[in-house]
Amino acid sequence: MVVYSFYIFDRHTECIYSRLWARQDRPLSTGTTAAAQPFSGSSEASNGALPPDLGPARARPARLSAKDDAKLIFGTIFSLRNMVRKLGGPDDSFISFRTGQYKLHYYETPTNIKFVMLTDTQTLNMRNVLHQIYVNLYVEFVVKNPLSPVEHSGGEGVANELFELALDQFVKGVL
Amino acid sequence: MVVYALIIINKAGGLVYQRDFVEGLNKLSINDYLVLAGTFHGVHAISTRLNPLHGQTQTLPQTNYTPPSRPDPPSGIEVLETENFRLQCFQTLTGTKFLLFTEPQQPNIEKIMATIYGLYSDYVMKNPFYSLEMPVRCEGWERRLVREMRVLNSR
Repeated sequence: MVVYSFYIFDRHTECIYSRLWARQDRPLSTGTTAAAQPFSGSSEASNGALPPDLGPARARPARLSAKDDAKLIFGTIFSLRNMVRKLGGPDDSFISFRTGQYKLHYYETPTNIKFVMLTDTQTLNMRNVLHQIYVNLYVEFVVKNPLSPVEHSGGEGVANELFELALDQFVKGVL
Repeated sequence: MVVYALIIINKAGGLVYQRDFVEGLNKLSINDYLVLAGTFHGVHAISTRLNPLHGQTQTLPQTNYTPPSRPDPPSGIEVLETENFRLQCFQTLTGTKFLLFTEPQQPNIEKIMATIYGLYSDYVMKNPFYSLEMPVRCEGWERRLVREMRVLNSR
């Protein structure tokens, strides 16, 4: 089980906290040429030519910045949440979705703060984990902090030392 | 076992088929279903871009001959879980998306999906009067699909 990243969105749709754990930002080309290397001698003799450079799987724009990533994630969960509410009734809420590469877990508090976590696909339900993060870490270290503002515009007051440290330990403990 | 509904979205994001099999999901107007199909199409496309392991390729065990492989393109949403239902999305190679709404603990969804896809290829795609990318109105498909789902839901 691997946790890739964690995001908190406030009720004004703003990303007030994001944390990335495992993110490989290696350029795509090195990976593909390495995969194209292992050719056996016989096939190369029959080919006669060098193995064709396959290049990236599909021509895609360069990697998005972390900020744009957060915006895309918010858009995704917002649309899915509305879709699920339409189909499943107003008190239904979506828990997670999975693609071939990752799984996204979602938890929304009654005050519309949204907690999102991206993990690998094998991970089971993480909703209670997100709930624990809200109850034991966010409320304790952010909400109860007398110096933190009520609205965290620009992420102000969320990324304090205690919260970051406790979150890191908590996520490591869950694994 | 309960299969609530099936939605088919064409490769442009348009709704081509929608059918409820059992009560369980809210009824929407046809307009809302069209919006839903478009929204899901967009979200599905976005979800391929959110891959946190972008640029990392799995190294396969090296044998004597490894065919030149390019990594699989990232797939979009495959399963969506909510409190009341589970949504399985199957995208064909040509970009058509099948959305199957079931109860949360439904087993063997892949098999059901394969059955539906088989029916679709036999009774929709092979129907000479069906025009591609247009709403599905084929009697044979409708009849067999409903029969298949009735058998499943009565188990």
